[in-house]
Amino acid sequence: MIDFFIGLFMASFLIVLFSGRLYRLIFWYAFNSLALGVITILVGVEHIDNALVISGGLTLILKAGVIPFVLKNISQRFNLIREINPTVPIHYSIILIPAIIIFTLYLAEPMSSMIGVNSNYIAISISSFFLALILMIEHKSVAPKIIAFLMMENALFLLGTTATKGMPMFVELGIFFDVMMAIVIINLLFKEEHVK
Amino acid sequence: MILYIFTILLLLIIAPLLIGMIKSLKMFLLYKKPVSIFQPYATFNKLLIKEVIISHESSIITRIAPLLVLSPLLIVLLFLPPVVHGAYYIGFVDAFTIIGLISLSTFFLMLLGLDSGNAFGGMGSSREAFIASLVEPAMVLTIFSVGLMAKDLGVGNASINLATHFPIEHASSFLFAGISFFILLLAENGRLPIDNPETHLELTMVHEAMILDISGLYLAIIEMAVSIKFIVFASLFVTLFMPYGVNLIAPLAILVFVAKLILVSVVVALIEVNGAKLRLFKVPNLLGISIVFAFLSLITFYVLGA
Repeated sequence: MIDFFIGLFMASFLIVLFSGRLYRLIFWYAFNSLALGVITILVGVEHIDNALVISGGLTLILKAGVIPFVLKNISQRFNLIREINPTVPIHYSIILIPAIIIFTLYLAEPMSSMIGVNSNYIAISISSFFLALILMIEHKSVAPKIIAFLMMENALFLLGTTATKGMPMFVELGIFFDVMMAIVIINLLFKEEHVK
Repeated sequence: MILYIFTILLLLIIAPLLIGMIKSLKMFLLYKKPVSIFQPYATFNKLLIKEVIISHESSIITRIAPLLVLSPLLIVLLFLPPVVHGAYYIGFVDAFTIIGLISLSTFFLMLLGLDSGNAFGGMGSSREAFIASLVEPAMVLTIFSVGLMAKDLGVGNASINLATHFPIEHASSFLFAGISFFILLLAENGRLPIDNPETHLELTMVHEAMILDISGLYLAIIEMAVSIKFIVFASLFVTLFMPYGVNLIAPLAILVFVAKLILVSVVVALIEVNGAKLRLFKVPNLLGISIVFAFLSLITFYVLGA
């Protein structure tokens, strides 16, 4: 079951890389966070870890609900340009993305053998981290870069959840507050873009 | 053997029903008064009694090509995987045979478009060739990775293997292959993001441009071929990517199978309502996504075993 949701997580990353509309980007970010939340809850239930279940629920509420809503609201309010074509042409990324995925999957192999449990989850979360980096590189305007930042955070969260069976609760809550702060700062950034 | 023949007859009978259902569901969702879901049968009947007009410029190909469009698809219908456990099926056919037969049918459709002698036919044929050549690699990759996961390249055997022990540990590769195959289903059948089956606008039509000159009985044959092609793809998708309910007793299993086919057509209708048609030169991007997913499915299967 977790495998299936990890597949959904990675699939939404790939679709984001090819999409050229801002709202669709936000929708796929919400979908990605949904998959992440379900994975976290499933891992928590598997290891009978209440903290993980709570942080999974928080992910569902905050990242899949509140943050996409706020982002969409802000981008509506500041009339951001909704057509965001990737600067890397898509027929290049068709070659580039599988190459990067293969590279990172092999890169993750020694690390996964070190940790042992759930080795392929680690490989997938590292490769999705790199995919988020590509997303950040291939767009010029601010809004997609911010989505890329949030998705990178998702990938790191997945790495933390699956590799270490959950970080301490305080760390995770801290990360949540960081993300919320980031959203506040993003608001300011968007205002800047609007003024320009 | 009786089940085998019954399944094929059932598929032949409900093939136009699915097309009609997609159309009427779309109209319902767009707040129009929906046509009956049995409309394709009525159209078929009407076309049978209409006279056939063939232009002076066209050669013998216009007379034989409609039959050659239909017949490979009918042969594919015989090779489909079983829907009930224990039913007879043809086991020696692998996916490449099916892809080859479908391309043969597409080839004659393109020839038909070229033969009609007007400008639209050539345009439609060139566009169809463009899309078909892009579909091919993704199709081969997808089928190959599913075959690897099912441990058999033959379509019938693969579906039986998947139904008896579903590879739950390969769920993520399976999901990627499923997404890729669904995009191919949309592309090969000329559904909305690739081609709009309803317009006759010269900028957008692909499939309609090729059959613009055909009338009467020949048009009826082509329409039948279109619906059979859709049901071939839908039942391949259903048996390979949703292999549940095959082990039930015969009437129930067939009922579940039909329900799954209806589910696929509902999903197609929802996608058509929610999306716009892609510009022709953006079609390679969508098919590129499909290639990336198929490739990713192979890679995750090989490297991670996930």
